Parts: sequence; structure tokens; C-alpha cells
Amino acid sequence: MRAPSIAPPLDRRTFLKASASAAGALLISIPLPPRSSLAARTVEASPSWCVYLTLHPDNSAELMSPVMEMGQFMRTTGPMILADEMDLDWSRVTLTRDEPVRMIRDDKGEVTYQYGQANAGGSQTVRNNWDYMRRAGATVRRMLIEEAADRWQVPADTLITRDSFVMDQAGTRRISYGELAGKAAQRRVTPEQVELKQRSDYRIMGKDAGVADIRDIVMGRPLFGIDEDYPNALQAVIERAPALNAEIAGYNKNAALAVPGVRQLIELPRKVEDHWPGGDAQVLAAGIAVLADSLWAAMQGRKALAARWKNAATDDSTLQLQQFHRLVQSNDTAEKLVDDGDVDAAFATADLVLDHTYEKPLFAHACMEPYNCIADIRSDGATIVTGHQVPHWVAREVESITGLDALKVKVISKRMGGGFGRRAELDYLREAVTLSHRIKRPVKVTWTREDEIQRDFFDAAAVMRVRAALKNKRIVGWHHRQAQTRGWPEARDYFPAKVVSNYRVERFPPTSNIPCGPWRAPTQLQWAFATESMLDELAHAAGEDPLAFRLQWLQPYQEHPIENWAARSIHSGRMAACYEAAARLADWKRPRPKGTGLGIGGHFTFGTYAACVLEVSVSDNDELKILRAWGAIDCGFAINPNHIRAQMEGGFIDGLNAALFNAVHVSEGRVVNDNFGKLRWMRLREAPLSIEVEIIDSGYAPTGVGEPPVPPAGAALANAIFAACGKRVRRMPIADSFKI
Amino acid sequence: MPIEFTLNRQPVTAPDAKAEMPLLWFLREDLRLKGTKFGCGIGQCGACTVLSNGSAIRSCVMRVADAKGLSIVTIEGLAGDERHLHPVQQAWIETDVPQCGYCQGGQILAAVALLERSPNPTDTDIDAAMTNLCRCGSYVRIRKAVKAAALRTKTSQRSLRS
Repeated sequence: MRAPSIAPPLDRRTFLKASASAAGALLISIPLPPRSSLAARTVEASPSWCVYLTLHPDNSAELMSPVMEMGQFMRTTGPMILADEMDLDWSRVTLTRDEPVRMIRDDKGEVTYQYGQANAGGSQTVRNNWDYMRRAGATVRRMLIEEAADRWQVPADTLITRDSFVMDQAGTRRISYGELAGKAAQRRVTPEQVELKQRSDYRIMGKDAGVADIRDIVMGRPLFGIDEDYPNALQAVIERAPALNAEIAGYNKNAALAVPGVRQLIELPRKVEDHWPGGDAQVLAAGIAVLADSLWAAMQGRKALAARWKNAATDDSTLQLQQFHRLVQSNDTAEKLVDDGDVDAAFATADLVLDHTYEKPLFAHACMEPYNCIADIRSDGATIVTGHQVPHWVAREVESITGLDALKVKVISKRMGGGFGRRAELDYLREAVTLSHRIKRPVKVTWTREDEIQRDFFDAAAVMRVRAALKNKRIVGWHHRQAQTRGWPEARDYFPAKVVSNYRVERFPPTSNIPCGPWRAPTQLQWAFATESMLDELAHAAGEDPLAFRLQWLQPYQEHPIENWAARSIHSGRMAACYEAAARLADWKRPRPKGTGLGIGGHFTFGTYAACVLEVSVSDNDELKILRAWGAIDCGFAINPNHIRAQMEGGFIDGLNAALFNAVHVSEGRVVNDNFGKLRWMRLREAPLSIEVEIIDSGYAPTGVGEPPVPPAGAALANAIFAACGKRVRRMPIADSFKI
Repeated sequence: MPIEFTLNRQPVTAPDAKAEMPLLWFLREDLRLKGTKFGCGIGQCGACTVLSNGSAIRSCVMRVADAKGLSIVTIEGLAGDERHLHPVQQAWIETDVPQCGYCQGGQILAAVALLERSPNPTDTDIDAAMTNLCRCGSYVRIRKAVKAAALRTKTSQRSLRS
């Protein structure tokens, strides 16, 4: 039984609106407060915020995070914010899922979210939704209080709330939210009546909470898109051109159709379009779709195709890296992204100049759940069931392919078996939509692991030459010169920006055809690898302790304004505090046995600061062992410390994996190592035995934790190897240089 | 000849036509048991791990024909029911291991097989046995959970004896 708590108010001026969702939940939306008051802290603010909330007569509650889960824990964190402001009893909260994403058109006719920012990416979900979630919760709490006050005929301000009850201050009488909900939902509350809690009054936020759906996960219940069945759907796999830009030369149609269960073959054209970062890229490979009654039959049909391709691609990742080395060492003019102060003068008067070049290969995403999408395109509307990081793009894309109104597209967002930026791409969706539109029947497209690595949008490969000038043991000049497959560094917004006053960053325009895209903290692991390795090299050259050198370098501790889509300032003191805390946990000063060393690395991005200290041992014959790690993070107020620690653990390991193993090789436009085994990936035995994390409470508003822990790991590893054995590694994958 | 084996303590018969099909796809497609996951199809990642007579095996590289006469347990069949989770499942919840969660069914079954063989595993035992990939990097918590499960099993056995 659901509470009969739903009555849409008619007055447009009413602050809070409540209405029934399709599933009967109480849907509460709150208009955006005046933009000026939020502009300073919220970029890309959504027009409004929505929560899915049902209060039951037995006083239990159902909440749903409109942001879907991909391992970033938003399905726990989002509801925590709301529940705390509502003063809900967290032990009686159930987290629901699979509601369609609600969309509207904005003033310009663009499809956007009706009730909030449902995107998962850029470590922005907490930051974007922090204010809205709290206001929504506080508003509902006020409605409940007003209803109780009316019943008891007492002033509302004499009442308090606690654990899903409204009570008087003496605690002599109380009434449950469940009892009040029906009438409370019809009340009007004005913004002036809504009071946000003080931090000291939080009862849910700031404490450890666990993974939503964990019982379903450990019991193996279907949660992911790949587990979904859909009535009358054909299963499709697609044989795609293995090499970039290749076209179909021929295939054995009869053999494929002869496989029992195979129904139909459909050719799909390749597609090139502007793609972030760096201009035109192949976003869809030419392919032959095999549609069958079962996935297994479709896979057998695909084998039987024995497809042949016209391939003219010449892209070779090894040759491209060699070319990047030549470029950064040349005197050729590059594009200047930053040129602060007088870099040439700083180098001319330096005591010491270091000049080192760092290399980074293409990183694959390798989301554990291969991509999949169910599309049911009908004449009157469409249903899409998939895990995608940007659900409104899904609706928009259906409109663009089929001509259907995007608002007639029901998007069911499933839990994602990893996203890492790759599930913000549209290819797997486009394939399913195109096929279903063509055959007028629901289609489920499933990729294999080989498909996933061959057709990845990689984190760009790059070569970075860094020159740094020291005078009186202070860094007086920094010159970063980079060539990469695609994209550019956001050089103004990461250290050493703001701290080194004579600072130049140059890049060579990309010439590669290899598609790149967002990868968990895009291109930032390489940036931190070059920057934090160079800091280490400078410290050793100056005869200083690498930690002390960094702390000295970052002084005076101050906050500098930046103009980044995801952050408004960068604070050298907050960074320094992370270095210090991580080092303290690691017992930095304690001498380690011969062959064992500690390395430190740090990074600021998306408003959050993270540092990592790593302990490794290196034997005389270059056997590398990763021992333990310690980390510190400053992500403002820690809403759920448990999951901040989990992101630090997983993020470091992802960064270590990337630095050690993650290297995709392309030859003649074709990925050479397209499955695990050929593409090595970190296993438990190679991961740190333990990772201890300190969360620094700097009093700032909360920022994201999905990406910031990743970039420091590569440099911490290189620096630890140097401390252990005196060998400086400047090239990833590091496993090419050491045995592990 | 139909292929007979035991699945989650129930007898199962697969038609002979399925003999060459990997067990993974028979489970997922024919029996609609979606807890066993597809990750690589070549026995590398371990997302498709099931128990075969108590040992962890990769069902994407085991033919249905090879399951003949074996007792197969999938993640769906590990617990008796919702209220009686296996100690490893309980340890996974207590340690809050999963991030995206996709690989965790396989990880749990690998841990069950390890603890059957070595009730008190050392870190070296855990390193050797826990070879499934976790893309989110939940390894530190997996290690903790395996140890917590070992402790739980020991405690429950002790309480059974007393």
C-alpha cells in the first residue's frame, strides 16, 4: 500500500510541487533558486531537481537517485543527502531503481532533464546536486511539520523532527511521517519557510553507508543492462571493420544465414563526425549486424560471415609515439596554451635546468560489462533499456536517427558494469536504434570484449617534454611541451599552474586518426605522471626530501581563482595538506629496508585534491613488487566516508593498473591486443596489500571523488621505484621496464 | 544423448545440440540465470566463474558436454535462501566490497572455492587463488572480505560443535 499522498497543487507560485510518477511514487520537484546565488558554486546547474520519494503508512520510505550507479556510489550518496535533510530513519529507507528518466525541452527546444542533473560524469554529480537535494529534503520536512502543527494546533516552530517522526520539543508526543504524508503533500511551503540543517545536525551524512543493491549483487540477481530480456527482441551482434575507416569488401551471407536461429543480416555504414577531443573521428565502424533468436546463435552467425575488409588505414601507435618524441625535441613551433611570466628569462638565470621527456600510451576503458543496448523503436514512441552516463543524449539520439519526438522515448537507465567515460559514447546505442528502426522490432545489441577494445575511444597517447628551472632550490620556470594523438591538457587548471609564475605549456596539433574520448580523469594521469615525476627529479637534484620539497614549493598556501567548467579555484594549501596527511600515514621518515622505497604523487582536479604514497620493492634483477599505499583526499565535506575511501582504493588501483599495464597497440589502424591476456590488467596479487585513507575536512562544500584519486598513482609508482632502486622510469607502461 | 548434470542442487538436462555451447551461455541464455557474467569469453577475467564440484572454473571456456555428471553451483545457488546467505556473501556485505558490482558474483565463488581448500588462507594463498579481474579495483576489500569470511566460517563451525 502506498500512502495516498499525491495531490498536485494548482498554484504555479507554490514552491513545492508534488505529483504522481508512473509507478505511483510521490514525485517532488523544486524550482531552481535564483541563479545568482548559485552561480559561484554550481556550474551547469540543472533547471530543477527531482527526487523520487514514497512515504508508506508503516513509516518506511522509498527513495531513488535519478543518477544511475556505475560504481561511483551515487545511488547511496544522493539519497543520503535528501534523507538527512528530511530527517528520515535511514534504516527504514529502501532504494528503488529503474524509473524512466524524465525529460523536457528547454526554451531553445533542447532535450534536457525535467527534474535534475542525471548525468554521471566529470565527478560532478554530488557537486551539481548538493544544494538541490538538501532543499528538496528540507522542504518535505517542513511540509510534514506544518501538517503535524495543524493537527496538534501548535505553532510549527515549536516542533522538531527525528528519524521519520515529528515531535514536540519535550518529546511527549510524536507522529510518524507515514501518517502525515498524505495530507502533508497537499501543503504549500514557501522558500522562506525552508531552513537547511546545520552541519552539526546531520545524522546520516558524514557517517559510513553501504552499497545500494548489495544483497542483489552478492546473490547474483539481474541488475545490469546485459542481464535484461525484452519481449520479442532479436539478439544482435555486429561484425565491425577491425581497422579504422575500413569498408566492407565481402562476406559469406549464405553461411551466416544457414546458422540455426539467425534471422537476418543488416549492413551498417561507418560514420565520421566531430568528436571530443580533437575534431573528426570515426564514431561508428562499418559493420554487418547478425540478428538472431539468441545471442549464441548471433555469435555463431557472425563467425560464419568470414567478413573481408577494404583497409587503407596506416595508423600505428608505436610510430606515432616516435613522431611525438621527434616533435617535442624539435625546434618546431607549437601552439602555446599558457605563457605566464617570462619563461626564457627564468631559464637563462637558473642555477640548474632539468629536461626530461615522459611517455604515455593509449589507455583502454575495458568496462567489465561489455556494452549493450535494447532498443524498441515503434511508430508512436520508443523504449531504450541501457546503461548510459548521459541519459538525455540517448533520447536526443533516438530522435535524430528515427525522427521520433525525443520526449516519446522512454529511457530506462540500468546499473552500469563500469562507465569510466566510455559509457558516455553513443555507438552501441546508435547501432541498436538503427537496427530496431530498420526491422520494426525490438533489438538487443551486445558487444564482445574484442569489440569493446577494438572500437574504444582511448585516453590519448602522449609524449611530454618538461623543462624545469631551479634557482636557490626554488622552481623559477616550467616549460611543458607535448604531442598527443588527440586533445590537449587543461594546463591552466592543474598544478604547477599558479604556483610557478614563469610557466609555459605548448602542444602540437594532433595528426592521428585514432579515436580518443573521456577516460576517468581524461589525460590527467599523464599530466600528473610528468609533473609529479619532474617534481621528484627536481627534489633529488636539489638534495631535498621529495615531500619537504613539495610543501616548500606550494608556499605561500593560497587559493587561486581558475576558470574551469568543473572548479572555480585551486588551493595550494589544500594540496599540501593532502601530501602531508598521506605521508604521515605512510610514516614517511621511517627508513625502509634496502630495495624498498616510498614515492609520493598528488593531483587536483574537478574541485578535489588527492595524494598518494606508495611503497614498493625492487630486487637486483628488476623484480617489482607493490607493497602498500596510503592516501589523503580533500573533497570538501565527506558525505559518505566509506565510499570516499572505496573510491580512493579503487582509483589508486586503476591508476596503478594504467601506469603498469594499460597500453593498447594499434598497427595499420587495427588494435593488436584486443582482449584480456593480450592487454594485461591488474589482478589482486599485483595490487597493494592495503590502502589506508585519510579524509581531510577542510570545511568546503562537497566535491566529487570518482576521478581525482586516479592521476596521482602513476607518478607515485615511478617515484617509489626511484626511491627503491635509483632507476628513473619515464615511460608507461612501466611493466615494460620491470618484472611484475 | 542428453547431457545431465546438477545445477544448484537440482538435476538439469541439456539437449545434445547444446553440447559444444559454453556453459556460460547455456546458463545465461537457455536457463536465464544472469548472475554468471560475460566478461571476455576466453577464460581470462573470471566474471563467468561457477563452482564445479566445489572448484572455481570459468564457464565461458567449459563446454556444456564437459559438465556431464558434475555438480555446478552458480552465484544464484550459493545461498540456501535470502535469509541464509553463505558466510562469504555475508562477509562481502559486511566489508562493502562492490563498486560497479559486475565481477563480484565470480569473485565470491572464487573465494568460496579457496576457503573450501584452505579454511585459513594466507595472503599468498589469496594471491594465488583470487585471479578474477575487478575493473573497479576493489581488491583491497576483496582480500579483507576473504579473511573476514574465513573467520566467520571458523566461528560458525565452532558454534556448531559446541
